Amino acid sequence: MFFSILFPTREQHGESRQTDAPACFRDLNLDRIFAPVFQSKKGFKLEDFFYTSLHDPEIIVYRQDVMRELENNELRALFSDFSREIYDLGQYMNTIRSSLTSGDSWRSNYLTRGQMLDYADRYCRTVSALLDGISRLTLRSAGLRGFAEYLSAYCASESYTGLCARVKQLRDAFSTVEYCMLIKNGTIRVRKYEGQADHSGQILKTFEKFRQGVGKDYRHKMMQEPYAAYVEAAVLNMLSELYKDIFADLYGFCSRYLHFDDETILRFSREIPFYLSWLDFITPLRQTGLSFCYPRLCNTAEHLYDYDGFDLALARIEYGKTVVNDFALNAPERIIVVTGPNQGGKTTFARAFGQVHYLASLGLCVPGREAALYLFDNIFTHFGQEEDLSTLNGKLQDDLVRLHELLDRATSRSILIVNEIFASTTLSDALSLGGHMMDAFAALGAPTVLVTFLDELASHGPETVSMMSTIREDDPTKRTFKIVRKPPDGLAYAIYIAGKHGLTYEQLCGRLGK
Amino acid sequence: MKANLMFRDRDFDLKADPCFGKDILTADLELKRILSNMAQGDEMISAACSTALFCPLQSIEEIRYRQENLRDAFRNPGAVRQLYKITVETEKKRRSSWHWLSSSYLSSTFSGAVELMKIYTGMLMELRLIADSKLSGFQSEGFRNLLTMLRRELDDDYFAEVRAHLNDLKDGDGMLVSATFGNYLQGVHYVLRRKTRKDSWWRWHFAPSFTIAPRDEAGAADLGKRRDRAVNEAANALAQAAEHLEGFFVMLRNELAFYVGCLNLADNLRALGMPICFPGLLSTDSKDRSWRGLYDVSLALTKNAAVVGNDLDANDKRLYVITGANQGGKSTFLRSMGQVQLMAQCGMFVGADSFSAPIRRGVFSHFKKEEDTAMRSGKLEEELARMSEAADHLEGGALMLFNESFAATNEREGSEICRQITKALIENDVEVFSVTHLYTYAVAFLGDRQTQFLRAQRLDSGERTFKVVPGEPLQTAFGEDLYKKIFG
Repeated sequence: MFFSILFPTREQHGESRQTDAPACFRDLNLDRIFAPVFQSKKGFKLEDFFYTSLHDPEIIVYRQDVMRELENNELRALFSDFSREIYDLGQYMNTIRSSLTSGDSWRSNYLTRGQMLDYADRYCRTVSALLDGISRLTLRSAGLRGFAEYLSAYCASESYTGLCARVKQLRDAFSTVEYCMLIKNGTIRVRKYEGQADHSGQILKTFEKFRQGVGKDYRHKMMQEPYAAYVEAAVLNMLSELYKDIFADLYGFCSRYLHFDDETILRFSREIPFYLSWLDFITPLRQTGLSFCYPRLCNTAEHLYDYDGFDLALARIEYGKTVVNDFALNAPERIIVVTGPNQGGKTTFARAFGQVHYLASLGLCVPGREAALYLFDNIFTHFGQEEDLSTLNGKLQDDLVRLHELLDRATSRSILIVNEIFASTTLSDALSLGGHMMDAFAALGAPTVLVTFLDELASHGPETVSMMSTIREDDPTKRTFKIVRKPPDGLAYAIYIAGKHGLTYEQLCGRLGK
Repeated sequence: MKANLMFRDRDFDLKADPCFGKDILTADLELKRILSNMAQGDEMISAACSTALFCPLQSIEEIRYRQENLRDAFRNPGAVRQLYKITVETEKKRRSSWHWLSSSYLSSTFSGAVELMKIYTGMLMELRLIADSKLSGFQSEGFRNLLTMLRRELDDDYFAEVRAHLNDLKDGDGMLVSATFGNYLQGVHYVLRRKTRKDSWWRWHFAPSFTIAPRDEAGAADLGKRRDRAVNEAANALAQAAEHLEGFFVMLRNELAFYVGCLNLADNLRALGMPICFPGLLSTDSKDRSWRGLYDVSLALTKNAAVVGNDLDANDKRLYVITGANQGGKSTFLRSMGQVQLMAQCGMFVGADSFSAPIRRGVFSHFKKEEDTAMRSGKLEEELARMSEAADHLEGGALMLFNESFAATNEREGSEICRQITKALIENDVEVFSVTHLYTYAVAFLGDRQTQFLRAQRLDSGERTFKVVPGEPLQTAFGEDLYKKIFG
């Protein structure tokens, strides 16, 4: 029996989830990626699902299948409308139930019952519309198929069909009524309407000839909500004397159907936005030509890759100017060492590596054209502070403490992202510490990305892959933001820059030599 | 209700986008002087005339329509000025009444609209009285339509109906409102109902009733909102009517302003003894022009004296190259050519004994900048940039006026640039008037049958007439003369 669109079984759904953002969120800019997603689905409490990375491939595949199917725009629109509406109705009905059972005439009156009638009406229309929509489609994913089967059984049930019939009957009855209010001083009187003429219409007609094109609308936006609910309730109460039968019917309906909303359908409406919000988020990026794919999840790190990947947090800001990059780790390769000019996209590349793994573990589609990613137990990040030389020793100590902790907790199933550590110490220190660190990483055997200014680390051993941020050949002052497999050559860029200012060796000799 | 004095079938939009180069044309052709003379200190006239001038009409029909109306204004200057005065008066009254339509309180929108309607109906009555007495003096379609419309739409019965409504809305016997049930049974579709005889007090007296408690502010506010909802449509209808009448008066004022401006300028030119005439317009593809006594209106106004005019009949020409002595009247001639084209195409009279020319798809001017003190190379670039900008807007059928353009470099380079540009323009059906000192450029068009050469006239005695007459370019300019004159 279908239970949740996020987990194949009820038991998996019941397992505890993380309620706070994991430690790697900040460094990988995952917080920035998810912020608009959370923002767009405030109140749905989706955070837990995005904070809890999965390690069970069965659940990940269950989600990937659902999401792949939801890439169909028609289907997505269908669920998007449904989810928002049912979620809201669920919230409203909680309030209505507490009002109607309060025994307090201030809260339990014909206006409240009118609201319940309205919610029931909307619920029926929304549920039936969804059934109508999905019965025309063939669903393939286990999750959506399961839900569709549940929905059609529910809609055929007597309790649901009975609800719909009662709602319609009441609506029809109320729609026949037109009444008149005489408002004078502080008193409202009501009577049935008796064909009195429309005064506004007459005025409109008299002044019609002065119309010049479309005029400004001076009508005030009048709240459909009555200003004082109790006055409206009092008016309804008076009307219940004029239209006794209809109002008695409404009263009976409200006691009989107080709990008309279905728990599983409510849960679905809360959880489907997990997929919808993600697809909404990536759609504009796709339109700029960026690729997203459903990665294969690997139990070993023998062959990991992502082609045309990118940093999602950055892509969202750059909009259309994003540079894509590939990575591939083939055994015995485990460690990508990224070097090259600053501001050349090294950190971005490292973040993208971490992001793509994290996103994959949630069952989401991820940046890239095609990907095979590691089924990790944990992502550890260590981002040093760049270019802050004011607290040299403190920083180095801090770096080492954190590195130690990281190595303590990491396993060969972990993913490591280490960015520019040891930047705040002498070169010889950095080199020897860096060497130790590389030994440790190699021994650990976990997939690692290391961004560093130390070229030497890139040739540490067979487990390292050297990659470089590159510059344009025709204009060395411009970065390409491409990170490619390439041995490090840290001097090239400096020579270009020096040449531009006439300060290479030859140039300076020439100038000094007159 | 429409004024339709500027266009037979549409409004005169003061916010219409002006043609390209409005500011450039204003400066190059010295149009400010002309506009301020038309306005005589009235900003509305200035705005209306400026809009008309910088939105040149493209059809002979439209131009004739205005010309006819303007002829009528010349016949009835008193009535036209009187109508204009009423529109100005209306605006003054509206401002000093302190009523306006937009408000965060519907009740003030409502009462404001009622008061403004009273002002407007009063002024409409004044308009109608003029229409009653002056209609017979008018012959043009535009003015006759306007005055007839005022008499037809605003008869005495109509004024009575309006007053009845304005009174009914002050009824204090309670407001009758009908409603139906909304989605959650709240009252919706409030409609203000006119009470009938059946709504006598005793029938309503026995109806169910609810009275709010004496100090119940929320309840009182709720009842107020109910009234607002009921009166919303009526207030809107009234406010829109008031707005539309305001619009009508503004429109009428703007359109009359153009004719009053024309009356002003005509009066002043006549006082200087300068001729004015209604121009004849030919279709855009014509290459003929003729003028008699064409003069620089701005110069006449500035000097406050009569100035020299020029004459020519040109057939099948597309390029006019004007050369000759400095201070010989070349720029003045060029300016008059630009002025006359813009004035003719907005339906005005022009400063000439007679004038006819094709309708032009825009007037463009490119004048050497006197005040530019930048380096020579920068100057040429600036000139080219300006030309390039104009080229973005130029099309076949346009009129291009060059005044010593591209001379900010040596003659050979300047001539070549200028020749290439000019050649490209005329071959693409842009009519070009080019005042130039660039001899190499000027003679490049010798022998072209479609080029008219003009020269600043110099009598055998060496004296200048400030006239521009047919004549091919001469190798030397007359700077020497000027030097002698100034330095003795």
